[in-house]
Amino acid sequence: MDKAPISMDDIDRAIVVHLRRNGRATNQQIADQLSLTAATVSARIRRMEEADALRVVAVSDFSAHGYNVLLEIAIEVDGRPASEVAEALTLLPEVFAVHLVTGRYDIDILVALHDFEELSDLMMNKLARIGGIRSLMPAIAIDVVKYEFDVAPIEAKGM
Amino acid sequence: MAGPQLDDFDRQLIEVLGRDARISNRKIAADLGVTEGTVRGRIRRLQQERLIAFTALTSLGLENPTKLAFIGVQADVGSVKEIAARIAELAQITGVLITMGRSNIIAICLFDKLEQLVEIASDQILAMPGVHHVETSIAVKTYKYNARIVKITGAGKVVDNGD
Repeated sequence: MDKAPISMDDIDRAIVVHLRRNGRATNQQIADQLSLTAATVSARIRRMEEADALRVVAVSDFSAHGYNVLLEIAIEVDGRPASEVAEALTLLPEVFAVHLVTGRYDIDILVALHDFEELSDLMMNKLARIGGIRSLMPAIAIDVVKYEFDVAPIEAKGM
Repeated sequence: MAGPQLDDFDRQLIEVLGRDARISNRKIAADLGVTEGTVRGRIRRLQQERLIAFTALTSLGLENPTKLAFIGVQADVGSVKEIAARIAELAQITGVLITMGRSNIIAICLFDKLEQLVEIASDQILAMPGVHHVETSIAVKTYKYNARIVKITGAGKVVDNGD
């Protein structure tokens, strides 16, 4: 569903800066800092949220869910539109991100697993049943050096 | 790997706050049938253990660069940690993974113009000593993106004023 894009002014941006530092600050606390009323802060946040411009959320660590294995897999598609294969991949719960990409491969996915034993089920029972996947080039993440999470395609599935 | 000990209440809290972190402790307490003090204490513990963090997500394309690309980097195995750390310092790089696979570093880059991506990949990353090859892959369409489950790096900052 496409929503009309909104424009953000300096007040919106200042509110977002506060929320990035403390997403749980009350409307009154933000209002006091910015010399606004709590009602204004509340209305501004709601407007941005309704336009899919902002989400104030708790993000949780992979370890909180027991995910110990992180894989990035590049996929080559053959004989089927890549968009159809991408749609099919979104249905797998262990697949966290699905992007259609340019370059040598057609689709890039991010997968989180509890342990390596789950890999065979993913490969044999799930990915193998999606038509159109010609080859998979996995990369196993062995260290996460940087992972910022405050910008995201909010309109995408999974958000 | 021994995971953190989470009970059903922790999982419910993560679920509720993952949808909307602006909900008050009072409302959570009433919905889950516990006291406000319990909610406050659990949230604090989850933050201290770096299992959750609160943030404001903003959308690609509004105040932010509009496009996302993956940059696969082939670097000397002996200096991969140092190279990954240098790549992580670049402003437009939002994620850096050290990997085993077709490249040994994968960087995620946000950009507006193709020239910016080329500048980062070919002029900055490829020019680093020990980097042999970079391969960029631009995300033209995103079908799924779960930004709520992440790697929480950095200090376990405790902020909670949900009451």
